[in-house]
Amino acid sequence: MGDTFIESRSWTDDDFSKPGPLGTSSHDAVLSEPLRGWASFSATFRVMFLEEARKSVEFAKKRQMVLFPLLLTLVTAISTIGLQFLVGDSTAQSSDLESKTFTWQELRFALHLPMFMFSLGMGTFAFMGRDAIVRRTGTKNFLLAAPALQPLPNSMAHFAYFVKDLLFYVLLILTPIIAGMALGILLDGVAGIRTPLLWSSLPWTWLAMATTLGQGLALSFLASSLWLRGRPFTVVGPLLIVALGVAVGAGFLPADVLLWGLAAQSSQSGLAILLGLLLSLGLGLVASLLILDDFDVSVVERGDLLSPVHDRLGFLGRGHIRLIVAKEFVDLFRSGAIKKMTVSYAIPLLVLLGMAWLVDFAEAPIPINLLSYAPFLGFFGFNFYSWLTILDSPEFMNGLPLKVPDLIRAKVVVYFLATSWISLIFIVLMAWRLDEWGSLPTSIIVMFANSVYIVALTAFLMGLRPNKAIFDASIMVWFWIGTVLPLLGLFLLSFTQGDVSLYGNWWERASQDGLAATAQMYDESMVQQGYMGMIAISVGLIFASALLWKLMDNRWGRSEFSN
Amino acid sequence: MAEDKEPMVSAVDMAKKYGDFIALHPLNVEVHAGEFFGVFGPNGAGKSTFIKLLTGQLRPSKGRIEVLGVDAVEDPQKVKANIGIVPESESPPSFLTPAEFLEFVARLRGVDDMKAKVEHWLEWFGLQEKRDTMCKDLSKGQRQKVMLASAFIHKPKLLFLDEPFANLDPIYQRKCRVWLLDHVAEGGTIFLCSHVLEMAERMCNRMAIINDGKVLAAGTVKGLKQSKEETLEDVFIRLVGRSIEDVERYSDEGVNDDSEE
Repeated sequence: MGDTFIESRSWTDDDFSKPGPLGTSSHDAVLSEPLRGWASFSATFRVMFLEEARKSVEFAKKRQMVLFPLLLTLVTAISTIGLQFLVGDSTAQSSDLESKTFTWQELRFALHLPMFMFSLGMGTFAFMGRDAIVRRTGTKNFLLAAPALQPLPNSMAHFAYFVKDLLFYVLLILTPIIAGMALGILLDGVAGIRTPLLWSSLPWTWLAMATTLGQGLALSFLASSLWLRGRPFTVVGPLLIVALGVAVGAGFLPADVLLWGLAAQSSQSGLAILLGLLLSLGLGLVASLLILDDFDVSVVERGDLLSPVHDRLGFLGRGHIRLIVAKEFVDLFRSGAIKKMTVSYAIPLLVLLGMAWLVDFAEAPIPINLLSYAPFLGFFGFNFYSWLTILDSPEFMNGLPLKVPDLIRAKVVVYFLATSWISLIFIVLMAWRLDEWGSLPTSIIVMFANSVYIVALTAFLMGLRPNKAIFDASIMVWFWIGTVLPLLGLFLLSFTQGDVSLYGNWWERASQDGLAATAQMYDESMVQQGYMGMIAISVGLIFASALLWKLMDNRWGRSEFSN
Repeated sequence: MAEDKEPMVSAVDMAKKYGDFIALHPLNVEVHAGEFFGVFGPNGAGKSTFIKLLTGQLRPSKGRIEVLGVDAVEDPQKVKANIGIVPESESPPSFLTPAEFLEFVARLRGVDDMKAKVEHWLEWFGLQEKRDTMCKDLSKGQRQKVMLASAFIHKPKLLFLDEPFANLDPIYQRKCRVWLLDHVAEGGTIFLCSHVLEMAERMCNRMAIINDGKVLAAGTVKGLKQSKEETLEDVFIRLVGRSIEDVERYSDEGVNDDSEE
């Protein structure tokens, strides 16, 4: 038997290594081949599905996990019954239906677009995989990091994760929606309830929406895989997304070219559905093949960043929050997440701006103006806050004299400091484009009030785990009530700035003319009232944010640091 | 029949650099069958980088690595399929139970009679009562047992262990030590990284001491000692360039005691 030997050499010494084998052997042991392809997928998929279910149940508890699909079913059943009013199949509507009601195609678009946007937000699997690898020595470890130690290709682990998530959302979101539609149809004829929806449309809707969901997840997965490959993808990718979004929004490109599920549902073609699903899975496969077997966690020495950042945050006082905000900013910079998060926050805003550039809203049936945009900006804060909560494991804070509400508040502050300048630039550009300088100050107030409120509400309801809260029915009900009511109020009041008549006799005009309702007169007093109403709601939202800020201690004061 | 002189592990000019920081200087190593080889060094010496490079978890900045006749840079999957790895600080997946995780590993590695082997190792590590508890709810020691079981379950000829006994109680430290020594006696090979010098004295045929990414000395435990009186701890301190007096001297000069202010 030879002796084991070992020696070090200098980095600058000549390279010893020669091509060809190094002469090791397995000493007659028959070597196992690692599982590849389908075999490694099937060995991983089932266990990943189980892991996902346990992760969700851990946060939302079993009862809430069951309630969430039930809630979706109920809401969809009610919507199904209400469909008759939307498509003009109601006895209350009698003539000229085309101009007064939504077309089926518009309703399908309204169904597919939110699903697509949701799946885009949930599909950044390459980033998730990288995080899992980087954090595998932390307190929590996930199967997505298994390829580091086990004979499992990283790409296959990611593909299994993609398919697992797709199936999970189909089961927990899509299927309850279709069940709700079925319930609505079942109730047809009971106590005068009517719905124009047919049984035969349900399988198509289910498959088509699954296609849209798969496509959104796959596209987002692909974007994140390309992003991890570095330049030029980090520049070209976002620009391409903005261009496509603007092209669709401005009507240059039909929506069903981009929304395969919508195209498939419109054509009701089995081949289109099959093609859409296969394309989505294919895109997911391509995205996963772009993932490298890279388990390197780079060791980089850096100068002190915490103290300089802390010094700059003097306006936050001397308390814990300032210190945690400084730490969060260091995490943001050092992890490189600041670039990803800023780009993903800015993309929807750029799409809106691009649309404003190309669409003449004066011709739109609803008088959209600068103040109509302002409330919606806050909505994008949800994703940013969610991302902030997964940057680093907070469990080390359990041993420090800190409370969970301190960290939550710090994250809200970081959100505001990191994104407010982007929103501000956007709203100013929008004011310039729409030539609505007069309403800019009010828009800024509305935008910031709404932005802070939505993130404060998210933080209050979901704490350090917003990603897992989406399946918690009790939280989502409150989130829905807490966001939709003020948002709707602000949105409707914004119409006072253009089409006063539409606002003044809203119900009457909408029921008479539907989307064809147009401006007829301009009432200065109504404009003033609209401004005052919006300011009042915004002030209310600021007070509500302050209240939620205070109540954080009650809700999260006894929780442990865990994400 | 393969020649006994053929090594199980070989690396030539294997090195790792992160930016300007050299984590491991170019290094040549050969580990032969039937060896219990230990690499020891202070915290941050480069031990874990060493083991991760050999097991295909990291790509070297330069050099070549071969394990069991397989190029570890070209086909790390195949290397991983034929060795066992116990990492330094990695836990099993938090939301799986020990039984589920072992079954997952066994399935990936194509282990025959999978269920029986899973039960065997759960019993061996005294984890039967915890077989259905999610790993996140286990103690650190129990999680380490799961990681050890996952490395042993396919009984690989070659094992790479990084601080394998961390958080294990003395009973299971002894139990594992005996198993590992038996494994080597039966022809297995073990590559161990640790800073616990007692392990070198009790288990290793040969050892190396590394610091700042460089091998400082290598040989048998006996061969590294300069005299009979010198302990392995003395050898270690001497080799990493410190004096015993320096290590034992405690000083808090220059540190203000706030309580006295």
